[in-house]
Amino acid sequence: MLLVVTYSRGARGSLRNVCRTHEETVIRRFGRVALLRETAFAAFQALRLRAKHGDDVQIERTEPFNEFEAVDGSVREAARAYEDREEPSLPYATFAARSDHPDPGTLRDTEL
Amino acid sequence: MSRERATGDVRGEVEAPFVVETAGERLVGPAVDLRDRAGPAKRIDPSTVAAAVRSETEGGGDDESDGVAGSESTVVVGCSTPGAVHEHVGLVEPGMGLRIRTALAAAARSRGLSAPQDEELASLRDELTTVEVPAADTATARERLAGTESAVTAARERVAELRGRVETAREAGRDTAALRDELAAAARELSERETERAAAREALDRAERRAREARDARERRRRLGDRAANLERDARAHLVDACREEYAAAVAAVPGSDWSGDGDPFEADPVSAALAIARVATLRAPAVLAVDRFEGPRAAADWLDAPVVRA
Repeated sequence: MLLVVTYSRGARGSLRNVCRTHEETVIRRFGRVALLRETAFAAFQALRLRAKHGDDVQIERTEPFNEFEAVDGSVREAARAYEDREEPSLPYATFAARSDHPDPGTLRDTEL
Repeated sequence: MSRERATGDVRGEVEAPFVVETAGERLVGPAVDLRDRAGPAKRIDPSTVAAAVRSETEGGGDDESDGVAGSESTVVVGCSTPGAVHEHVGLVEPGMGLRIRTALAAAARSRGLSAPQDEELASLRDELTTVEVPAADTATARERLAGTESAVTAARERVAELRGRVETAREAGRDTAALRDELAAAARELSERETERAAAREALDRAERRAREARDARERRRRLGDRAANLERDARAHLVDACREEYAAAVAAVPGSDWSGDGDPFEADPVSAALAIARVATLRAPAVLAVDRFEGPRAAADWLDAPVVRA
């Protein structure tokens, strides 16, 4: 999908207009951000916004997140186990230290 | 608030003459009529007159003159520097557009009124001018990277192909020297392409890091801008409220208005609304009127309590 983020009131207004006019191209709009379909028409609209508002328009291409591909099982298990914890106020770092789940530092240093 | 009190010291300014010079004539305000002066051919467009009123005056004094060259005539108006409200109601002509609330808020300011949001707004605007967005060009880096992947693939395929041909020639007992030279050249080419791709990736990474910082600044500027816009709206509402009754009374009193008197005065026709706002405002520079709502420029100046040019 194309992720369009706007950084000025003018750019936000133009994005809103584009989204209203081309509903079929928009997957979702959140205020000054929109997810567009991956079509040349969506790219054209996004590039039009950038031509008008310059770097007040950020365009990124997103890809679906597959947790079974992007991370190994320990990360998925840690997330599940932490959400099942018995002490709600327990920080994850402590939780990880008491078990064999990966510590937050390791997680931070591991790229997807 | 009392109109007399608010405009008490303005009377003198209204009486203070302004000067219109055009086609060798010199006309002195507070009420000047530019119609039928030299026949319809020499008629000066009202917007040209308004532009002459608004054009920057060097030194800013009353005796300074400045002019705007129209297509046919030049008109020069020597007058006090117009305030912001003049941009809204300084030219009243048929078919004009008017943002009534914005104009009325400007009129309130021309009377010296302020809004409780002013101080915070001023400091926000100061803060906005200090936000610096660093330049961050990522397009060049993206463009540079875009062709490098396919170049590496092509070079790699060329190397594989030549390896195959060297192998085939050797098995057939043919001389492989020329082919091996070609293979060596292709291998060098591949290595160069790979180096270029790595350099382009690195350049894009650097550019994107800078772009992220720049976006942080843009985001900060946007938040400040949003807050300022909200405060401006609140300030405008406050100023409009302060002049609401006076404005409604003025709209009801505008000569020739088709406004019935029991509707919303903010729905009045733009000409009537503009005249009412001009009456509420303190106009230092002449208002340019191109409508027939008054008996003459003198009557208009009296009703508006402002200097007037009928064009």
